[in-house]
Amino acid sequence: MRQAPRRILTMTLVLALVWALPPARAADLKLTLWRLKTYIPPADKILDTTAQDCAKKIGAEVQIQTYTFDDMWTKYTAAIESKTLPDVAELDSVGPARLANLGRLSDVSDLVGTVTKELGELAPNAEGAVKFGGRFYAVPHYAIPLILFYRKDLLEKVGAQPPDTWEGINEISAKIKKAGLQDFPQGFPWNRTGDGYDPAMSLLWSYGAAWVDKSGKYIGLPKDKAVQAIKVVTPAYLTDKTSAFDFLSWSGSGNNEAFMAGKIAFTPNGPSILFQEDSTKHPLRKDTAIKMMPRGPAGRNLALTFVMNWAVPVDGKQQKEARALVACIMSKDKFTAYMTGSFQQAVPLFKNLLNSDYWNNADGKVIIETVKLGRPVGWPGPTTPAAAEVISSNVLTDMMTRVIVDKVTPEKAVEEADKRIKEIYDRLPPK
Amino acid sequence: MSKILAQPAAAAPRARALAWHRVNRVQERLLGYALIIPIALLILLLIAYPFFNAIWLSLTEKMVGYPAHFVGLRNYVALWESARFRIVAWNSVVYTVGSIGAKVVIGLAMAAALQKAARGNQLLRGFLLLPWVIPTVVIALTWRWLLDLYRGLVNVGLHDLGIIGSGIHWLGNPDLAMLSVIMANVWRGFPFFGVSFLAAMQTVPQDLYDAASVDGASAWQQFWRISLPSIKGVVAIVTLLSTIWTLNDFNIVYIMTRGGPGAATHIFATYSYELGIQSQRWGMAMAASMYSLPVIALLIVFVVRYLHREESAS
Repeated sequence: MRQAPRRILTMTLVLALVWALPPARAADLKLTLWRLKTYIPPADKILDTTAQDCAKKIGAEVQIQTYTFDDMWTKYTAAIESKTLPDVAELDSVGPARLANLGRLSDVSDLVGTVTKELGELAPNAEGAVKFGGRFYAVPHYAIPLILFYRKDLLEKVGAQPPDTWEGINEISAKIKKAGLQDFPQGFPWNRTGDGYDPAMSLLWSYGAAWVDKSGKYIGLPKDKAVQAIKVVTPAYLTDKTSAFDFLSWSGSGNNEAFMAGKIAFTPNGPSILFQEDSTKHPLRKDTAIKMMPRGPAGRNLALTFVMNWAVPVDGKQQKEARALVACIMSKDKFTAYMTGSFQQAVPLFKNLLNSDYWNNADGKVIIETVKLGRPVGWPGPTTPAAAEVISSNVLTDMMTRVIVDKVTPEKAVEEADKRIKEIYDRLPPK
Repeated sequence: MSKILAQPAAAAPRARALAWHRVNRVQERLLGYALIIPIALLILLLIAYPFFNAIWLSLTEKMVGYPAHFVGLRNYVALWESARFRIVAWNSVVYTVGSIGAKVVIGLAMAAALQKAARGNQLLRGFLLLPWVIPTVVIALTWRWLLDLYRGLVNVGLHDLGIIGSGIHWLGNPDLAMLSVIMANVWRGFPFFGVSFLAAMQTVPQDLYDAASVDGASAWQQFWRISLPSIKGVVAIVTLLSTIWTLNDFNIVYIMTRGGPGAATHIFATYSYELGIQSQRWGMAMAASMYSLPVIALLIVFVVRYLHREESAS
């Protein structure tokens, strides 16, 4: 009688074990790919289809996961700590520096060589974000340049030419406000998104206020130049009242919405506003124009913050297949299809496609020129983990908002920012 | 002789009974442990381990992907010396005190109003619970839209009524931004207060109110001298719980203002997120979030002692 329950229990355990064992069959090859979810859904669809086709070609299945600009580092942080990075990772402009420094990315120099053969030489300003110690740790995918959007109809009404300087933007904004056309025409948010820190870098660099030398070593924020730069842009909030304080709390799409609602005349943004206006046959499309971000006394040194790169983390078990997948996605036909389906958002970083006829139109020329003149994060040095943290810690935009919101002097704000930058570089010295 | 022979025979059943009771008690104890082990494991793995790990990390210079190095209280000192963190700490106090104060007042008013049995009260109670059941993300996004400078219902409504000439910078003015996030927090949380206070009020004997009415006490006097003292314990517990939740709040501030403008609405949770995820500085991020721990611990001790005192007095 006592033996029966034991027998039943033993049999149940054996059956459960047998059921749980994987069946004897050929293992399916599965790859994971993480990519940015952009503001251009048709381009995302093309990329996903390309990835699936390429995976089939190499006899694999690819599982695609997406992230937005806002939650990218939440996702990657968890994966870094748990050592579960995907087989193929699309990283932003600071991702390769951070992960390569951790030893978590494979050397893909040969892969870059393969891509170069089909797409041409890599643009020199794209190397700083992916090449460290003479080796490539990511393959540049595309760049999203930040350009200056403006309302040409409003400029015409106040008799102004498109501005080429930061001061010019101020003057025209004041005219638009005075004419009663808009209450707050100047939509530069200086907030904790790319629409804030990208123009902040462009502004400081255009005034000669870079804080590193060519090797990436910290040399200090040139105080006079930084103060001069701040004093040009903060009056929009403080005295001219051509910017609204609410702009400082915008999310990443806040300026897009305000521009398309006809509330602002100037704003920095990627080309996605053009897609949104084109795809919805927006009434403001005919009045929307773009130009390169302004220059300053030290020239036009534009930040190229939004650069997406393909990397092959060492966590992945299928290194060979992952590299094959990237090579296929970056092949000429596939990348050209993606580029031409991106509504001018995905700017290539390899020479042959930069000169493609696709960009041979008024807007395309501005976009391409912006990328060609763009400087990587960490300029004039390479992109380092310290440079990455200066951006992600919002040091530059906090400097602006200390003046605008907390009403500290520009000199004090610059001093605080410099102290923070120094502390970052002391903690993360360039290798 | 028979008595001597009879004793061992009588003692055997008693001894067996005693032994059976001992075994039974041991088995009961073992069963008790077996039943609480699953929940104890869950608490250990999901609460205790992360909690103590967070304390450990706060004492290290841990960056994402790198091993942790013990640095003692350096993170805490660095935070305290940072002007920005002091702003964050002050914001957290303002946000918490402002939200809790408003929720207590509104919750008491709601409970007092609903206490009287009236037609439609059940429907009204259900309706007033809605903010509590709607996901916080939806609430935050809705308030963000309501308070938008150009298209928000509040500004558009006030403008159309002729009360304002141009939009109010609800999310841009530092003081108004703090008020805005407090409003959203209060709107989300007041039903919890109201329903809890109402449940407590309904246990107060009606005789007390009848006697007070006979003595000529007004509604306000009845509320102040009967209802409120009777529900002090519940008020204390609900306030304590909500204080803990509010000090750790993240969603509302992050979605509405991202801690801006500047650092005007940055609180412990959003600042900790910025340090931990964007700057990848886990040690510092944990230290920032641990700053509220002593306050919470003190509050818990205070409330528990108060409740014990009240219980002893009654």
